[in-house]
Amino acid sequence: MSAGMPILEVRDLWAGYGATMVVRGLGLTVETGETVVIIGPNGHGKTTLLRTVTGLIRPKRGEVLLEGERVDGKTPEHLAGLGMVHVPQGDQLFPDMTVEENLVMGAFLPAPWKDRHRSLERVYHLIPALRERSGQRARTLSGGERRLVGLGRGLMREARILMIDEPSLGLAPVAIETVYGAIREIHDTGTTILLVEENFTHIGDVADVVHVVEMGSIVRSGPLEELSKDRTVVETYLGSL
Amino acid sequence: MSLAEAQDARIGRPPKLSGGQIGGILALVVAIASVPVIWSNEYALGVLITGMITLVLNTSWNFVLGTAGVWNFGQLAIYALGGYGAGLLMIHTPVPPVLAIIAGGLLSAAMSVLLAFPTLRLYGIYTSLLTFSFAQVFQFIVVNDPKGLTGGSFGFPTVRGLYSFLSPRASLDAYYWTMMAVVIAATLAVTWIRSSRLGIALRTVRDAPGYAAARGVSPLKYRIIAFAISGFIAGVAGALYLSYNQSITTSVMGLTPMSIDVTMLVIGGLGTIWGPMLGTGVLTGLQVGLADYPGIQLTILGTILLVIVVFMPNGIVGLISAIRRRVGAWVTEGEGEDGGGDEDRAEAEETPAGVEETLGAELPS
Amino acid sequence: MTSFVGILVETIVLGSIYGLVAIGMTLIYGTLRILDMSQGSMVMIGGFVGWGVLVVAGWSPVLAILIAFVITFAMGTFTELISVQPLMGRRGFDFEMVTFITTFAVAIVFANVALQVFGPFQHNVTPVVRGGVDVYNRVNLSYQNMTMALVSVGLMGGLGLFLARTRWGLAIRAVAQNLDAARLMGVPVMKLYPLTMGLASALAGIGGVFLGAKFFAYPSAGDLPLLEALIVVIFGGLGSLSGTLYAAYAIGLIQATAEVVVGTTWSLPILYAIILLVLVVRPHGLRGTPSEARL
Repeated sequence: MSAGMPILEVRDLWAGYGATMVVRGLGLTVETGETVVIIGPNGHGKTTLLRTVTGLIRPKRGEVLLEGERVDGKTPEHLAGLGMVHVPQGDQLFPDMTVEENLVMGAFLPAPWKDRHRSLERVYHLIPALRERSGQRARTLSGGERRLVGLGRGLMREARILMIDEPSLGLAPVAIETVYGAIREIHDTGTTILLVEENFTHIGDVADVVHVVEMGSIVRSGPLEELSKDRTVVETYLGSL
Repeated sequence: MSLAEAQDARIGRPPKLSGGQIGGILALVVAIASVPVIWSNEYALGVLITGMITLVLNTSWNFVLGTAGVWNFGQLAIYALGGYGAGLLMIHTPVPPVLAIIAGGLLSAAMSVLLAFPTLRLYGIYTSLLTFSFAQVFQFIVVNDPKGLTGGSFGFPTVRGLYSFLSPRASLDAYYWTMMAVVIAATLAVTWIRSSRLGIALRTVRDAPGYAAARGVSPLKYRIIAFAISGFIAGVAGALYLSYNQSITTSVMGLTPMSIDVTMLVIGGLGTIWGPMLGTGVLTGLQVGLADYPGIQLTILGTILLVIVVFMPNGIVGLISAIRRRVGAWVTEGEGEDGGGDEDRAEAEETPAGVEETLGAELPS
Repeated sequence: MTSFVGILVETIVLGSIYGLVAIGMTLIYGTLRILDMSQGSMVMIGGFVGWGVLVVAGWSPVLAILIAFVITFAMGTFTELISVQPLMGRRGFDFEMVTFITTFAVAIVFANVALQVFGPFQHNVTPVVRGGVDVYNRVNLSYQNMTMALVSVGLMGGLGLFLARTRWGLAIRAVAQNLDAARLMGVPVMKLYPLTMGLASALAGIGGVFLGAKFFAYPSAGDLPLLEALIVVIFGGLGSLSGTLYAAYAIGLIQATAEVVVGTTWSLPILYAIILLVLVVRPHGLRGTPSEARL
């Protein structure tokens, strides 16, 4: 574990469902403290990439390295123990648990469990809306509230890398503001983040590097300012920035 | 509830057998037919006859499982009904035995159809529970025999066999060949149906009922057909059991025979053509081998069932198919990105898209 | 009125014990998504443990319960490891149906081994707690029945607390409600599954001690409770704890009534006939929409 080694490295990754490969020869690195954003059209492999990295899908080919050590093919629960935190697309909450129970599950692992009360306080402080709803069942929450629960749940333990999948999905603009406000604060604490988004509008404040994924691999990379000057990128993904 | 089918039949056309394969099957048939002539062990013949009766039952059960995707735990009750029904006819009416047997089959078909209706509204495990409850109630009624019809657990009164006019030994042989004929007929019928348009419709209804209904194929109608056919075959088997043994008891139903039959089906391979034969054969052989050790028979049966299902959930036929597939993939390796193997096959077979491809304009209305 | 009170008493006792057995099955279905056909065997084993400890060894009933717990917990874990775990993560077959068969196979083996070891006879278990109190006009509520009902209810309550308040209880609920998310939280599902099945089997085992004490211990002692547990679980809506409870008492009521009105031999078929009717009229059981886990 030497300084300067990227926290996450993905090399020539091929992954998909059955015979269909959705991620095709994708490679990227995430340095400590960076916020890397992946954008691209739907169905082109962004979510599959995250799910493969966190162990929900086995890659057909390629490598995933966490601080230099190979972790591809390991189970999600093992990877969680290694410090990977995945805030999945569509929230994936525990529908019949309360907000607080959902959050507490975020601290399930033995070490975080001991600190769970403190972590809970921290998350409530960061996202006050959660405290108000702490006793409410997750299935009765609105879309934005659920998103915040998912995010909060991901913050209940220390993450070597925090992976967030489409935080703005299906939300109204006001809710997106709230969610990204929280993400911004997380970014400011120096947490390494790998963010997947389809919606370009809010990533400006947090993105250090942006990768454009198309047809399962990265086609353009660079800082946001640079990409937003590129007309083709802008037209395809940004609509009206 | 869809099953991974491991058969080779191409949908829409009858399975193409090479000349060699046909020759092999014919040779097998001839060999089996000559057993009574070569081997005069009456006990062995009896075992084979009983085995064939069970095989017909299993064929019917496998049929409803494969085409309707339904575990009909009432199948044994339907089988018994065929026997009891035929028996009652033979005792109380002047109907000749052959007709009584057919009538038994029809009676079972009717009862089976009755069972078909509620199963359509249920899914998976609820269907199992429903059919199982039915079997239990039926068994209870027969055992307790409220109207003195069935003889309860003491058994049914004796009836004439089909061949009582022959000598006992000749009658045995006659039954052997009769059963062979029935087995062949049932297997041919089931195989032919599976690859006919009826079979396509049945599988469509099984895998994608909404799609089928949208195409004008009534799930209810086809499920009734599936149940009727399997009921008829089971009923005939039951009636033949009665005819051969010249009586019938309630021990043909119940948990123990059901466990044994389920084991036969699973070991052979669910939903396949050769499955019932392999499974019935293996287990009958086992039972004969263990006949001297009645105590541990069930223990060994259970252990074998467990081991086989864990290592070969698709039975012997499934294993063979998987091996052939893997060998085939290995031979053609390097041409694609596929690792080949079970996952892909399962994906391809279980989606309604698979059904789409094969339907084309073939659906009967 | 006498029969009514008698029925009520019997309902509460039977329902509580069946609830104990059935709740284990709901627990298993909620997490593993299988119907564990070996749960009946656990009841049977519990019955024999009870007989062995109470009658043969002459020890205390508390010891019987504890020993039954330990033994059936181990058996349940073992069963999961040999008949369910090997099938996980594999494709190409119907997992629910195949595990139905494998756990069923285990049950066959257990029953047959018990038959060989103990013989087909019914082993009487002498009452542990003697005496009782007359509740209403010669309807006697035995202390033994009372104790069993109370302990059963207590254990079910304990399970509820365990699920609601403890780390592993929370983990079990998480797995039942969203497997992928639970794994992402670091829940070691491959350890959780055998533990869950062990716990469920242990509850069934204790129920078996009670049933053995109430009736007899014999090798097929698991058949009826298994069927009844299945009925309770499916009736109550798969995976729903509260539904399971309601169904357990409902079935206890049906059986108690049938026993008084038509006699014991008819009670089970009547139960099945009612099942048939309910399933025809209400395809999803009493409480659940299918495949909704509500642990």
